Parts: sequence; structure tokens; C-alpha cells
Amino acid sequence: MSRPHAPARQRDAILPYLLLSPGLLLLLGMLYPFFLGVYYSLTNYYLQYPHLFRFIWLRNYLKLLEDPLFSYSLRFTLGYALVAVVVQVGLGLAVALLLNSRIIGRGVIRGMMLMPLMMPPVITALMWKIMMASTKAGILNYLLSFLGLGPVNWLGAMNSAIVSVFIIDTWGNLPFVAIILLGGLQSLPTEPYEAARVDGAAGWGVFRYITLPLLKPFIILAATFRVMDSLRIFDVIYAATVGGPADATMNLHMRAFFYAFQWYQMGMGMAYAMVLLILVFLASYLLMGYWRRAAEQTSL
Amino acid sequence: MKHRMRTRRWMIAAAFLILGGWICWAAVEALAAEPDLTYFRQAKINWRQFEGQKLTIGLNKHPYTESLLPLIPEFEALTGIKVEYLILPENEYFAKLVADLSNARGEFTVIMTGPMRNWTYAAPGWILPLEPFLNDPKLTDKAWYKPEDFFPGLIAANRWNGKIGGGTGEGALWSIPIMCESYILAYRKDIFDKYKIKVPTTYEELAEAARLVKKNAGIDGVMARGTPNTPTISTGYISGAKSYTDGKWAEADQNMIARLSDPRHVNFSKIWIDMVRESGPANWANMTWYDGMETFAAGQAGMYPDCDFFAQTYEDPKKSKVAGKVGYALLPPGPGGRTYSGLWTWALGMSKATKNKEAAWYFIQWATSQRTLLNATVEFRNYNPSRASVMNDPRTQKVLGSWGNGAYVKTVQENLKTARVAWVPNPERGRLGDIWARALHEIYFKRLSPEEAMKRADEEINKIFKDIGLQK
Repeated sequence: MSRPHAPARQRDAILPYLLLSPGLLLLLGMLYPFFLGVYYSLTNYYLQYPHLFRFIWLRNYLKLLEDPLFSYSLRFTLGYALVAVVVQVGLGLAVALLLNSRIIGRGVIRGMMLMPLMMPPVITALMWKIMMASTKAGILNYLLSFLGLGPVNWLGAMNSAIVSVFIIDTWGNLPFVAIILLGGLQSLPTEPYEAARVDGAAGWGVFRYITLPLLKPFIILAATFRVMDSLRIFDVIYAATVGGPADATMNLHMRAFFYAFQWYQMGMGMAYAMVLLILVFLASYLLMGYWRRAAEQTSL
Repeated sequence: MKHRMRTRRWMIAAAFLILGGWICWAAVEALAAEPDLTYFRQAKINWRQFEGQKLTIGLNKHPYTESLLPLIPEFEALTGIKVEYLILPENEYFAKLVADLSNARGEFTVIMTGPMRNWTYAAPGWILPLEPFLNDPKLTDKAWYKPEDFFPGLIAANRWNGKIGGGTGEGALWSIPIMCESYILAYRKDIFDKYKIKVPTTYEELAEAARLVKKNAGIDGVMARGTPNTPTISTGYISGAKSYTDGKWAEADQNMIARLSDPRHVNFSKIWIDMVRESGPANWANMTWYDGMETFAAGQAGMYPDCDFFAQTYEDPKKSKVAGKVGYALLPPGPGGRTYSGLWTWALGMSKATKNKEAAWYFIQWATSQRTLLNATVEFRNYNPSRASVMNDPRTQKVLGSWGNGAYVKTVQENLKTARVAWVPNPERGRLGDIWARALHEIYFKRLSPEEAMKRADEEINKIFKDIGLQK
């Protein structure tokens, strides 16, 4: 009796794995380089000196502490991400609220908002670099001159270079935050607003006590993405400042790149990358937990 | 009936017309596809002895590459060797190349390299010396190839005996040059004449000239590269440093002990950085070679001590506002009266992991032959040529000779008499240069004194050299 069923049952047992196999393969394709990276970070691996290759346990991580730029690049990475997430999410919320209200040309503006997202970050950075030329020839300084300001040495001085990188990054990523939050705003239930109107609440009160709490999961989601991206920011910095001037914009990712792909010291490069990975993981783990709680609260 | 006959006649005529057209088209196509190989067949070697083999070439994006691509079918028709290639932007190219060479994958058989790069590739034995191929009469007809036609200094630059800390110009030939650059001073002759500014002959005068241009003409006195990495060092700056010290100082001694804190170099860095801070571009710390060249060509700078061949941009009225207004001079010499410019050549070399070595040599021989290099220069502006015959060709002379009223050719020829690879041979040149450039930033932003900045750079470099075992 069981005979005719056997192939069917067998098929039932295999089927889920078959369906999952592309995903599993992809996972394998991701995990292999990851573990290889972890392994390399524990070795003395130089591309150009294969004879030096040895397993050296955690010595690369100890050497990190001696690296004159480790502590600065760590602080810069964290500080940058913190400022970036606060400002970009704040501005993004403002833009989303604006686009959610009835302004003229809303459709056009929403469409145009997507443009920075379509541009590769390196192109964005190079475009801004030209606009940020330190002389009067730079369009930004030209515009500032009408206000009686400048010329600003955008990328050529330490503090202004940090601000400039931040401006470029924000220009490129603000639409992303705004779109997530706009989507959130549009999906909010209308009942609480009607009830509020009946009760006579308006303006700030509605925003503070209804919109903001309901939007919380979306805000946290946008913040999570921005934190991860800002911790890892590389292309904008590389194209705009190469980590300078005087190491002012040197973050962990730039340092990892220099070790691995400029000096071919893979072991140290991977150690830097691992520190960055741990930061990104911790930050996203905390924020995702926070997000889950917020999502549960709002769905109640 | 009559009508039908007329139709048939028309149809026959149309058929003949189509057939005739097709035959003509096929004939033209066949003629166009058959490259003229007469020049190459004059060589007394059997070009077809490696027929059927395959090569992969790794190329950097460069005018020479552009000139080579349309000619590859010619090589394939001549030899029957199949060629595939991969072109990458410089940074990606070098990273991929090191990965390929170090793993002996042999993905790239013929590579684009050059003197300083060879130090990284030759020491671990990743690339092959080319003389055995050059001297094998079965593989090379020297009378036809004319190796003596290459400028001797450029061939010397591609030789290295493998000794870290010295030995360029000696030992094996690792690659064959396809172009060269040396470093000279381009200056705005019109401004210098108008304000009676003297063309500088010392580094103090260079700084003074920059100051005077800025004061009188209201533009940046001097351009200089300034990003915090090796390119900032490797052209005008290192040539200046070596000239200022009469070619006697080097960034590391024979035992690979870093010597950036040597008082002679500290003095030079002080003069240079003071000049750049006082009269250079406000965003010096962010200047690439390209920014400097564009700014100078836009008429926004008085001088640019950098690559000689940037002249082709300066002198092109479509790209430049200063065409015809630029003077060319040697970089100032040191007290000894001689300029020691640095030197770079892009060159073709061969990966050791190559299976079809002889076929790869055929490619190198064909690609560096007189005819191919002449085409690269005349048709694709591959400046400066590495062969004397290409340099002396009337078409090259007509172009180069017009720049700066002949001053360009005169200056470059004079410069090449003493120009040499400026760096001390070692595989960590790129990292040394990066640390060096960051030290210049510390001085520029007055975070450290020149003495202290160079002392710290030395310490950082020495630690790395020791770790890797470069120091004796």
C-alpha cells in the first residue's frame, strides 16, 4: 500500500529544498567570502609576499591599535554615522511631510526627487567636486558671492571637507529617506486623525501625538538603512577627498581599502573590515529590535 | 503577352544588378578585411609558427590602448594567434593585475607595466625577463625590430637587477617602453614677460615667481598635486627634491632605512609647501594631476611643474585658453647646476604564468614595432614616443615642434639627458609615497613642523619595511 506513495513522499521531502536551492546557493556564495575574510584577518596575508603567509591569531587586531589612524578613523566613522542619521532622517521627514501636503507641482517634485538615487555615488561625488571648486569658477562659490559670502574652500581644508562630504552624501541619500517616510505617511490610518479633529486637536499636537508615533516604525527603518550606509560610506569619500585633507575624512572603510587594495596587505585590510562589520552588525541589530517593538506597538 | 515579357526582362535586369552589387560589396569587404602586412613580413621570422594559440592581454585605459585596439585584427591576421583583452581604469587594473600575478593564474599574459611597477612584480618572480626572447633569432629579427631605436634611457629605466635599494638600469629587461613622461616646468610666458618675472633657476626663485604671479596677475602662482597619496609625490615634487639635493639624497638608503627626515629633504619640503600654501591653489590638499592641468589650461595659474606631455592639452585651442602662451623650461637644478627629473614609461611585460610565452613575445614585438608605435603617436597622440624614429618623424616633429615655439621639444630632449627613475627600487614604493604625501599634509596644515612630520613618516615607513623584511 505504501509503495505508490513513497516517490510522492520523497518528492514532498525534497521539494522545499529544491525550491530553496537558489537561495541556499546564494547564501553559500555570500558565506564563503565572508568566512574567507574572517580567516584572512587572522593571517599575515600580503598579496605580494606569499612567503610571509602565516596564521597569526589576533595579532592584526592588536596591530590595529598601534596604527596611528585607527582611533581617529573609528571615531570619525561613528561620529559621521550619528550626525548623518540624525540630520538626514530629520530632513527627510520634513521633505516627506512637505510632499504629503497639497503643494503645487507635487507630482513633478516627487519624480525629480528620485534623480539623485539614480546616480552612482562616484558620479555624484565627482559632480559635486566640480561644483565645489575653491575658486570663483566653482558654481557654489559663484552663487555664494551674490550673498556676499565665500569663497569657501570646500574640499581643501579639514573641517570644510568633512562638511562637504556630508553635503554630497546627504544630497544623494535624502530622497531615499523621504520616499520611505512618504510611503509611511500615505499608509497611515485616517481614523485617528478624524477622531483628533472631532476632539479639536490640530497642527503640532496632531503631528506630535498621532503622526510621529504612528510613523515610528518607518522612521526607525529609514534610520537603520542610513546608519548602515553611513558607517560604510566609501565611494563619496574616495572620489571627493581620498580620505584627506590631513586624514580628516579617513574612515574605517577607506583604511580597509588602502590596506587591501593599495598596499595589498590583505590581513590588515580584512581586520579593518571586520571591525567595521561588527559595528554595522551591532547598530543594525539594536535598531531592528527597536523597530520590531515599534511595529508591534503601532499595530495594536 | 508583351507586358509579361517586359516584366521578365526587368526581373532579370534587377537580378543582375543585385548580384553585381553583392559581388562588388564582397570584394570591397574582402579588401578592407585584408590588412597590409607587407611591413611586418619583411621581418625574417616565421610569424605563423604559433598559429592557433590564444593570448589574453591586460590593458590600462590609455591613449596607447586606444591606438592598439583597432590594430589587433592585423596581429591576428599576421600570426594566426587569437587575442582577447580586458581594459580597466588604472586603479582597478593594478589591483586585478596583482591578484592575477600573485596567484599565478596567468589570466593576463601580456601586461601594461613600467619601471616602478616592475619592482613589485619582478622581486617575487611574477614577470619574465624579455632578453631571452629578444635575442632568439627564431623569435626576433633584430635587424628589422631595431631595439637600438628605443631611447637608451628608457630601456635602462625598465632594467632592474632585483636588488632592493638599488640596481635600476642594470640586469634584466622586464618590459619594453611604449611612451615616456618626464617632468618639466610649464609657465605662462605672457604673464612672465608682462611683469618681467624671471624664469626660476632655483627653488627659492620658483617660490618667488609664484608669489609675483599671484600678486601681479591675480591668479594662482603655481599648481601642484596635493591629494594625500603617492601621485602627489611622484612627479614635480620628487623631481624637485632630487634636483634640489643634486641627485645625492634618496628617500631610503641602501639598507632601506627611510631618510625623509634628512635635513636636505626637510628644507626642500619646507620651500615647496610654503610656496604652495602662499601662492598655490586654495584646495591644494585636494588637487589631482587632472585638476592642476585643467586649471592651468583654463588660464587660472602661472606655473605647473608636472608631466611634460600635458602640453598637448595646453596647446590645443579647443581645450585650452592658453594655447601659444606657454613657455617650457627645465625644473630648477640644485647647487650643482643639474636637473634630475623623474621618469616614467608605460611598457609591455610578460606574466610568468603565461602558457604561450613565444606567442606573447610575438605580441609584444608587434605592439612595440616601429610601425605600431608610430601609428599610436601620429593617429592617437601617444606622447612622448619611446622610439627615436617616431620622435624624429616629420609628423611628430610638426606637432611637438610647434609647442612653445620649439621650446617644448628642446626642453624635453635636454631633460631626458639626465632624467632617471626617481624612486629607490623597492616593492613598497606606493605605500612609502602615501605616507610621504600625508606628511606633506601635516606640514601644509601646520599640524606638525616639517622636521617632526618627516621624522614620524620615517618611523612609520621603517616599521613597515622591518615587518616585511625589506631592511637588511
